[in-house]
Amino acid sequence: MNIENLQQLTQFQIDEQPHIIVDKEICKTCDHRACVLSCPANCYTWDEATKLLSVVYETCLECGTCYVVCDKGALDWSYPRGGYGVCYRLT
Amino acid sequence: MAKYFDVIIVGAGPAGSLAALKLARAGLNVCLVERGKHPGAKSMFGGLLHNTPVLNEMLPDFHERVPLERHVYKKVLAFMTPDSAVSLTFENEGFERPPYNGYTVFRPAFDRWLADEAVREGALLLTDCTAEDLIRKDGRIAGVTIKGREGKLRSNIVIAADGVLSFIAKKAGLRKEFKARDMGVGIKLLLGLPEETINERFHLARDEGADISFVGATGGIWGGSFLYTNRESISVGMVVHLGSLKTSGKAPYDVLDELLQHPQVRKLIKGAVPLEYSAHLIPEGGIKAMPRVYTDGMMVAGDAAGLCYTNGINLEGINLAMTSGVLAAETAIRALEIGDFSARTLSLYKKKLDESFIIKDMKTFKNAVGMMHSERLFQTYPQVLADIMDKIYRVDGVPRSKLLRLARKEVQKQVGLKNAITDGIKIGRALL
Repeated sequence: MNIENLQQLTQFQIDEQPHIIVDKEICKTCDHRACVLSCPANCYTWDEATKLLSVVYETCLECGTCYVVCDKGALDWSYPRGGYGVCYRLT
Repeated sequence: MAKYFDVIIVGAGPAGSLAALKLARAGLNVCLVERGKHPGAKSMFGGLLHNTPVLNEMLPDFHERVPLERHVYKKVLAFMTPDSAVSLTFENEGFERPPYNGYTVFRPAFDRWLADEAVREGALLLTDCTAEDLIRKDGRIAGVTIKGREGKLRSNIVIAADGVLSFIAKKAGLRKEFKARDMGVGIKLLLGLPEETINERFHLARDEGADISFVGATGGIWGGSFLYTNRESISVGMVVHLGSLKTSGKAPYDVLDELLQHPQVRKLIKGAVPLEYSAHLIPEGGIKAMPRVYTDGMMVAGDAAGLCYTNGINLEGINLAMTSGVLAAETAIRALEIGDFSARTLSLYKKKLDESFIIKDMKTFKNAVGMMHSERLFQTYPQVLADIMDKIYRVDGVPRSKLLRLARKEVQKQVGLKNAITDGIKIGRALL
């Protein structure tokens, strides 16, 4: 099952204002980077070459898994502004 | 728009909307604040709306008007290994009559319907509003600020029904930081299948539904998987402990994929069309992880109050949420009658919770949380069970053992007697 295909099934109202901001300096020294694997929407990517953690907030399901597994305080995580973000139709 | 309300409810989920309905019926000026485009747009659960007496009482004809999928007739508990399944099926004609024991529903439809009921009775629903912060006045909580539509909403009482990550309860100082050890994450894939195909595959008639719980198909991560039948779709997903997921080195969708590829599951979902993918956290820390549920000017209900329990067999939250919403509303009505919104008056809410099935059930299964923090439960024991079944049924000319001897041998080989006794005591304390 391809996670990119899964994401296309879900609707989003994308806000140009991100609701997740990562402190890339903290992530550089993180010993687990559990967010990368734990996120059910695969929003996080670690680039070994540049030593940078990046986040794609646009396909975030707003579950909060990353926020809870991050024990380094590297995430500034909030719910998107009202009306934006994931918009479930069925589920 | 009036900006002063008797009660502001944050979150138009099941807890918030039923609270709003109760308050509106009492003639109070109530505002329901929802961050989604519509109620239910942010809601997700496995799929089962449990029978909830307060819902039946307040909306006796709800099952005729709400968009329901199927009533659950068949309950299956299946222990899985990579290539086998040992299952226990319970079919009961008592589940065929109203009040039905549970329905599969879609939350965007159900939550929207429930909020509309509150609106019809006079509640004001504000969608597209994320509650951002609390307004304090005279030492109590007296409203919220919102973002999306910007503004300030003031009230005598705030009910925080803003879900598992209740930033509102946190800002009120009622809870500490959210911990991975107290949380599960649920992910779900909705798969479309024709109604007749579902009925044939799951041996169902008319609007009968099946609820299958899988143990042992989570790649060794603490948790379980599920399959629910809807009218023309099935919901397949899993709930895993966040602490266990964090250290597993696995991605949740890969583990779900393993379940979908399992030989016994593959047959059930063959030809199905993926429709929607969703994820949500679940407060699984039990009674010990509950925040304080009231303070001056505020009460906390539903997932926001950590009102959810699982014992490995039952997983209940939505019924606890709706009941707590009504209890918070009853308390608010009393507080408004006497004109006192202090913690002392609102402590009545906690008393009502304690006296209800909510806290009683959470206390009954308080040891189940610890019981489920075990790799053996989710991997070794399903394998032991499958191996015993294999030895019972396999016909190969090897002389047989009696059942107890057979079981003891398998347990000794795979678990060790000492571990088995420790686990037995743990499970006994949690469930027996």
